[in-house]
Amino acid sequence: MKKGVSIILLLILLWGVVAALSEMPFGKAKLEVAGHYTDYGKEDTGAANIVTSVVLGYRGFDTLGEVTVLFLACIGLAVVLSTLKKQGCGARQTPSLILNTGFRFLFPLILLFGTYVFMHGHLSPGGGFQGGAVIASGFVLMYLSVPKIKRLNHFVSTLFESVGGLIFLVIGLIGLKLGSQYFLNNFLPNGEFNTLLSAGIIPVIYIAIGFKVGSELSKIIDVLLEESE
Amino acid sequence: MNEIMNLNPVLLIAVPIGLAMLVPILGLMSSKIVKWVPVVGFLFNSVVSLAVLPRVLNQPIIVKIAGFAPPFGINLVAGPVGMFLAALIAVSGFLVAVYSLDYIHEGAAEKYHILFLLLLSGATGVVLTGDIFNLFVFFEILCISSYALVAYLGNRSGIEAAVKYLIQGAIGSSLLLIGIGLLYGQFGTLNMADLAQNITSFSEPSVFVPMILMVTGLGIEAAIFPLNAWLPDAHSSAPSSISAVLSGIAIEVGLYAVIRVVFTICHVTGSFFVFLVAIAVVTVLIGEMSAFGQKNIKRMLAYSSIGQIGLILFAFSLATEFGVSGGLFQMLSHTLGKVLLFLSAGYMIYRTGSMEISSFEGVGKKMPWTALFFTIGTLSIIGLPPFAGFSSKFLIIKAALAKGDLLYILLMGIVLLGTVIEGTYFFRVVQVIYFKESNNKTEPEGPPVSGLISMSVFAILVVLIGLFPNAILKILTTAASELLNNLEYIRSVLG
Repeated sequence: MKKGVSIILLLILLWGVVAALSEMPFGKAKLEVAGHYTDYGKEDTGAANIVTSVVLGYRGFDTLGEVTVLFLACIGLAVVLSTLKKQGCGARQTPSLILNTGFRFLFPLILLFGTYVFMHGHLSPGGGFQGGAVIASGFVLMYLSVPKIKRLNHFVSTLFESVGGLIFLVIGLIGLKLGSQYFLNNFLPNGEFNTLLSAGIIPVIYIAIGFKVGSELSKIIDVLLEESE
Repeated sequence: MNEIMNLNPVLLIAVPIGLAMLVPILGLMSSKIVKWVPVVGFLFNSVVSLAVLPRVLNQPIIVKIAGFAPPFGINLVAGPVGMFLAALIAVSGFLVAVYSLDYIHEGAAEKYHILFLLLLSGATGVVLTGDIFNLFVFFEILCISSYALVAYLGNRSGIEAAVKYLIQGAIGSSLLLIGIGLLYGQFGTLNMADLAQNITSFSEPSVFVPMILMVTGLGIEAAIFPLNAWLPDAHSSAPSSISAVLSGIAIEVGLYAVIRVVFTICHVTGSFFVFLVAIAVVTVLIGEMSAFGQKNIKRMLAYSSIGQIGLILFAFSLATEFGVSGGLFQMLSHTLGKVLLFLSAGYMIYRTGSMEISSFEGVGKKMPWTALFFTIGTLSIIGLPPFAGFSSKFLIIKAALAKGDLLYILLMGIVLLGTVIEGTYFFRVVQVIYFKESNNKTEPEGPPVSGLISMSVFAILVVLIGLFPNAILKILTTAASELLNNLEYIRSVLG
């Protein structure tokens, strides 16, 4: 009985999903909004990377929400873990020489690459979230390979986290006050297309997001590590 | 005053998020000022939303984010519905923040205030946005902060409730996202007005199934039967100030999103409403009957919220102007009444040290004010004059009778039976509070001033709205016509 009902419900669901999928214009330039992005994205936002022009230009408000979600996830994790009792998980294995040496060689390169990714978000694939994640991966490597755990500086990471988010918001609010009076309005000049200093506020926001995401993801790992100690 | 009236409604979302991000920096400087941040933030929101509200009654304000015209960019629709709910969220948020000043004194208080700010800014975002994916983003902010706050006290039941809530909420969010994806794939737009314009008939399977997915996903947050399994645990194990916000605001925001999808985007007509009415009646009965058997005060209040959500859904599903404005009115009176109940119960639990109803014997003498506020909340939720709950329930009954259909009159009878059950279990608590002598000789003291101020303002609002329901009726009828007339909505957004 139960199984029968679930199978019938699933079939109805499947029928609807198939019907919806068959309505979708795959491979055709029928979609008005997406067409507008590819045709006018360059003029509207000044970003050479169309994905970035959507993420921070047309739908920048969603990105503000996503940044908030990550911030929230970090805070929420800290709340939940801070209430649990600390329990040891056995002795920590000392990292090998290869890991330790590799870390010392790679760490600056990882940071450099992460910085490159978030600074060039408006020109090439990548952006603040991706660059931040690359930077955080450098810190994971640090935790794994340094014999005596160096903890993140709480003061610095909090500062990066908050200031990064606040820069995003303040830029939005400046847009509200200047010129055309729209929140998140691109009030800086677009500059010369496809150069580092172009696309107005987009690179500024991406740098802020890069710092924020990098410090937030590192902090999540730091909090989890504290739990396992 | 004019300056405030002309402020952009996007500030209602941006300012609390900004303050939440500012809290960690302030926390590094001084831990004492942190708790004032939510108070300041929601005071600002209350002032702005109440000042802008009269302006949007004539013409909704369409806020184009970053200046891109809809459907290419994201836009906010500060219409009567959105601003009414935003004002409700802001005012309740302000008063609960005042209550929290002294109530929250243990645990990671700084993080509590961040999560509280973000929970309510997410709720404000959901009610104001005009873009379905943006609604999803703010819905996630609302849900994730609720999960964390349910686990705030860190006891076993709190963690268990939070995990249950997290799993069910995550399934709900995924269903919502799948529904949005299927609609986007077909119509190539995420703007709600543009979607509404493109959807010609909701009964085609290619629209109906995404709609069902979205309604189910949002229905989990709204705690519509049979999607309400997480609610009693979650609402009873959070700190009382958070239970108040979850019961009074979060589930109503979920219900608002359901209504927005059903009325505005899909423009449902006919038999689907009969289905919704049936679900609503079952939700009322299940909620009220489960509440009847509870011995734990917070679980009882949580189950009562399920019953109230059923009543609100019932009113909306009548799909008439009376019905929808009755539903919005019931949202208002439920928020005020239920928040008041949770806040007063919070201090009764704190002073007696137990959540069992039987331990409240003699509280009426020892904490006269708190007991009085609790009683006012009770009477309003049951729907006795002259409190707010009476006017809203009366409007709903009137709407059901105006339908003129025997089916609706019968269903209304069942809903009224639910109200009778509600009356029984609430009066039982009031009886314990006032008419049972306590054996316990210790003298519990009353709540601190911040708690008293916050609760008394809620009580005054409940009485004032009950005495002068006509004052807000204009807002409600304008809001109802926004929901019922989706052509008007499309025209105002897309021009």
